[in-house]
Amino acid sequence: MLNPSGTLNVAVIVKLEPDFSEGNVSYNSDGTLNRAETKNVLGPHSAVASSAALYAKVKYGANVSVATMGPPIAEAALQQSQLICNADELHLYSDRIFAGADTLATSEVLRAGIKKMANEQGIDIVFSGHRASDGETGQTGPQTAWKLGYPFIGNVIDYDIDKERGYVRLQRLIKNYGHNDIIEELESPLPVFITLDPSYSPFFNTVSQRLNLALNQNDAEKRSSRYKEYLKTFSAQSLELNLKSVGLPGSPTIVYKVEKIPRAKANRKADIIDGYSQENLSQVARRIYGILGETIIK
Amino acid sequence: MTSAVSETKTNANNIQGILVNDTENENRKRTAEEKEKEEENNNRHLYVVIEQEEGKILPASFEMLGEGRRLMDNFNSKYNPKENVVAIILGHNIKHLCQELIYHGADAVICADHPELRYPRNLLYTKIISQIATDKSSAAQISSSNNTFNKPRYMFFSADDTGRHLSSTVLAELESGLASDINKLVINDLEIRHEHKTKGKPISYKKTLEMYRPDFSGFLWTTILCLDNLNPENKKEFYPQACSIIPGVFPQIERDTNRNGKVIDFTPTILQEDLKVKIIGRRTIKNKVDFNNKKAIVSFGRGIKENAEQNIKLIENFAKEIEAEIGISLPISKKPYIINENLSSTYMIPDRVIGTSGRKVNPLVYFAVGISGAVQHIAGMKEAEFVISINPDAEAPIIDESDIFIKGKIEEVLPLLIKEIKKYKEKMQIPQEVK
Amino acid sequence: MEKFDVAIIGGGSAGLAALKQLSNLGKQAILIEGGKKIGTKNVSGGLLYSKNTTIGKVYNVEDVYDNFLTDAPVERQITKYMLHATSKDKMFSLDLTPTHNYQTNFGYSVLLNKLLPWFAKEALNSAEKTGGGIVTGIHVRSIMWKDENTIIIETDELEPFQVKAVIAADGVNSEVAQITGARRKFTQSDLYQGVKVVVKLPEEIIEERFEITNNEGAAHLFAGDVTLNHIGGGFLYTNKDTLSVGAVYHYDSLIEKPTEPYELVNALLSNPFVIELIKDEVPETKENYKNLSKEEELRTRFKANKLIKDWKELHHTYYSPSGVKELLANGKYKTKEEIKNKVDSIHDELVSKYDIEFESNYVELEYSAKLVPDGKRCRMKKPYFKNILFIGDAAGRGIFVGPRIEGLNVGIDDAVRAAEAVSNAIDKNSFHSNILGERYRRLVEESPYTKDMDEIDKNYLKVFLDCTKQVPNDIVDYRYRAIFKLMSNSTFRGISVGLVNKLGYRRLLPILESNKTYTEVPIKIAERKGKDVQKSYSIRIPAIAERIAKLNYNDDSLSHIKVLDSQSDFMKKMVTLCPTKCYSMENGRVILQHEGCIECGTCLKETEWRHPRGEKGIAYQYG
Repeated sequence: MLNPSGTLNVAVIVKLEPDFSEGNVSYNSDGTLNRAETKNVLGPHSAVASSAALYAKVKYGANVSVATMGPPIAEAALQQSQLICNADELHLYSDRIFAGADTLATSEVLRAGIKKMANEQGIDIVFSGHRASDGETGQTGPQTAWKLGYPFIGNVIDYDIDKERGYVRLQRLIKNYGHNDIIEELESPLPVFITLDPSYSPFFNTVSQRLNLALNQNDAEKRSSRYKEYLKTFSAQSLELNLKSVGLPGSPTIVYKVEKIPRAKANRKADIIDGYSQENLSQVARRIYGILGETIIK
Repeated sequence: MTSAVSETKTNANNIQGILVNDTENENRKRTAEEKEKEEENNNRHLYVVIEQEEGKILPASFEMLGEGRRLMDNFNSKYNPKENVVAIILGHNIKHLCQELIYHGADAVICADHPELRYPRNLLYTKIISQIATDKSSAAQISSSNNTFNKPRYMFFSADDTGRHLSSTVLAELESGLASDINKLVINDLEIRHEHKTKGKPISYKKTLEMYRPDFSGFLWTTILCLDNLNPENKKEFYPQACSIIPGVFPQIERDTNRNGKVIDFTPTILQEDLKVKIIGRRTIKNKVDFNNKKAIVSFGRGIKENAEQNIKLIENFAKEIEAEIGISLPISKKPYIINENLSSTYMIPDRVIGTSGRKVNPLVYFAVGISGAVQHIAGMKEAEFVISINPDAEAPIIDESDIFIKGKIEEVLPLLIKEIKKYKEKMQIPQEVK
Repeated sequence: MEKFDVAIIGGGSAGLAALKQLSNLGKQAILIEGGKKIGTKNVSGGLLYSKNTTIGKVYNVEDVYDNFLTDAPVERQITKYMLHATSKDKMFSLDLTPTHNYQTNFGYSVLLNKLLPWFAKEALNSAEKTGGGIVTGIHVRSIMWKDENTIIIETDELEPFQVKAVIAADGVNSEVAQITGARRKFTQSDLYQGVKVVVKLPEEIIEERFEITNNEGAAHLFAGDVTLNHIGGGFLYTNKDTLSVGAVYHYDSLIEKPTEPYELVNALLSNPFVIELIKDEVPETKENYKNLSKEEELRTRFKANKLIKDWKELHHTYYSPSGVKELLANGKYKTKEEIKNKVDSIHDELVSKYDIEFESNYVELEYSAKLVPDGKRCRMKKPYFKNILFIGDAAGRGIFVGPRIEGLNVGIDDAVRAAEAVSNAIDKNSFHSNILGERYRRLVEESPYTKDMDEIDKNYLKVFLDCTKQVPNDIVDYRYRAIFKLMSNSTFRGISVGLVNKLGYRRLLPILESNKTYTEVPIKIAERKGKDVQKSYSIRIPAIAERIAKLNYNDDSLSHIKVLDSQSDFMKKMVTLCPTKCYSMENGRVILQHEGCIECGTCLKETEWRHPRGEKGIAYQYG
């Protein structure tokens, strides 16, 4: 463990994202997301990452820091994350110069921020979500890991820590789309950077852990209602960042243009059938049977 | 050495050649500056990071080689000197795969074969891929004419989890730009005027990879470029121009055993430190949702929304009737409707997503129910033998991927269709029993 | 293995009271609850009493939670208690408020999904001080004894752990009782089946309609034709901005003439008097707009639905003082008038622009069911097994005396007695039945509630009879006439009640609880003496499928019920009697589909019945 006192320090990187639930999401007439009218919430994958930190807090008494980069409204994500993981510290990295950053420049900010956490004692595990749901790249996590010099381990579905040895043991899910999935079991010395598989859900398997969980949830409610007391806001300067490595100057990539995706060439020529005609559907049924044959009739 | 110099000259000539075609006069003024830039640019070739699992190359890797081949054939017909498609493959006992990569379009294969590389581990793989991507001697073997290799010009990864993670860490190590989930690529000379990159001045960027990325809704395309900073206050070169490519969108090229290429053995430098993440065990688990053993798949999308719960129940019944597995489009996995928890936790889950961020399927019959046909979804189902769509909107893009398009509302069409199938089954059952 | 002093199994009102009380006594107790959250598995008719008994002390809710009266999220204090005898179109009403007030400090209408989390919060605060607490989403699978003083509890979710004593508060279908064999399964004559719907109605409309102020509440009971010839009756309680409307029927009667439980509650809902009580203005969603293009139609319907949602919310809020206050406070509206104008303008817009019709109907929020143990028939005489104490419904302890139905307060009283016994055993560090079980049995025997389960209280009877003076004597069947006469006379009442109690209260039950008393007599009274009641609209009651679909389930793929004999007469009756239609007949066999089960236990007698695993199964929102 990095902290000589024996406390496990963990961090969570979260993101404020559009809320895709019914009633909160709004689409433009052309099918694209209406960002102005869509509410923003803690992204679902960020929530999963927060729950992994909760596990560390309940089971190992970890000290939890949560961070996000964004404009001041991104505080909402920190607050919602704190409600999940009972965070001890919230970091907002907010500076006009960070605007327009691509993943490399973003991860530079996060790297610097993580270094500042937990009184600069060093973070043992950083958690982040699988990907952001608004079509994010899934690159920020691994790039931040690399910049921190932490081994990156993705798609984690379970982990446990051996505090004595300073090791973490994990299971990760490797999706071989179309094939059977693989569960890989790994072991690594701390520190590590973990992204959680969307299916991750912490499980607390003793009465004591459950009692501790309840205490933490109780506490989390109180804390998140006064989250500002836990909030520290950092600028590029207070993070001691080189201005050439963040925001636009630090971004190798640019968005060149955004356009509507033109309709692809038709691959098939569809027979168009009136769905309200029983006669037509009877024909469709016959064709389905013709292809599927005995599978559906035993 | 001399050959290198002459190479650069040809290069510069070539630039002039293009500029001549350019009508803009003021561009001439900058030729000198560009020549200088191009001279110090020793970034060559397209490197493709291949993925294999237990000695089997994943289809997405062949697809990247196919697209890489097409791009670089174009490149080579347009620019000089010629550059190559270079496959990078890591693993253990994988030498026999190298030839296969050449048959599928690689000009050269750099192979790191080592017991420690049997399974991908991000830390170790990142180190080795970065070593290869900056290795001058391998590059020299690819084209002897160029021994001033710096980094690859372009680099491709697969946009699956392993490839996405590797692309991120490798590019963090190489300190260059990366675009994810790409489904269209073009190489072009572009005139760019950018607040930071060019400090607002128009500058021509040669051989730039335009990386097209569909947004999550499938309606918008964002083109991403990785460009050097030519801003005098913050000059920086960014190579390779890298991306991760959505599996299933690009066609492979036909396997051709007459294709020749060079296989380069790369001896990785592995430090003890690189091995600290250890694989203790690996086991295969069966997918709960089994698309492979079903002849039919019924998928549904946002079109169910007017009566989500009732429609899902109808779809459930329909699938039962034809013994189909149930799939969904990506937006459904975000549980956008508040319905019976049982239904939502059974069906509105990532495991059922068909498309680029889910599974790719090829059933005998694919039913697209209330699916509009976003590009991501199409990528997952276009290999189906026969496609039947149900949709009230005959303008929906899914029509172009359908063999039969049933125009009508789900809640009205499905009950009728279920009835007809039941009738048909009964009819077919009787003679069988008589037999 | 982890060790704790006491485990309380079941987080209902009794279990939580036990936790709170033990913690108050400084003892470490953990409460294990199957539901994902406290209160999601609980249903009650809806009244919680505090009693002021003369023959001995009962422990009331406010004795356990000292801030109950100031802080607890109760609904309304019942100030009006009516009994209505109904016939097809007539109704005769009796004011039974004096019986309600009899030895009563207060009676509140409550919704358990709101109240229990508050109990839990209070109990947890105390429990944490002693290293105890609440663990939810856990299903106890087995209970074993390592030695006399050590119980090992195994669950489906957690590592096993050990405790010195257990308080079983796992309800009428107590699995602890089943696992340990502490008592027999309850039979049909021991039980009542209750079915309830929660109806939404704006706060001030409730107050106006029931003629109560915002601190007051009304309870209405129904007998007569609404019972569909069953022994039992209907109830309607006012909550803050909802109504609890339900039916409670003797299980014997249901087995005799199986009737779908929802038909019984529907009969009550469609009663012309009840219809008027639950009435609200309801917009009808429109299915299609004929002369619009497809896209326009979609857009129109979307807008209309959004407006309807807005209207419903604002309409509901407008009639709630606290809601109005909040709206005015956050500055959205300046005056109450303005809110009203907005409500009306949305209404008008919906009618004129979107062709939406508003009609009279009612808004049903939740359908639920539960079994209720009749303490006079099935209370555990020895409410313990080794070092496990049974409390509340789990011990079969509930009071059913005519219109008086009480369970929540009995469970709380039990809990305090159990806590005292356990606390004493911990102090003595002995859990032998002499120290723990027998002591608890004696404490429970001393409870006035136990007496209410064994004997007729002549004073209560007098209050009751005084309320029924207007009932013409000749309507009452000749068999009861003599009893009535005796009972009505104060000199003889004492003697005859004494005689009855000596003979055994239970022997009289077939006469007291019969079709005659619950149906025929009330119908006769209504027809003879009742007022005409007419309904002003025709009600649309959701079909059972709709009701089930509205409920929240987290389905357990493993069935928690196993049918023992799919061809037994009893199981065949379950096809009708299961409140959520889990049973159906296929080729002469009863087939179970457990996915819609609301865990009421109606089918328990002839099934292998467990609660679902932790967090699984039904999750009520009101309860």
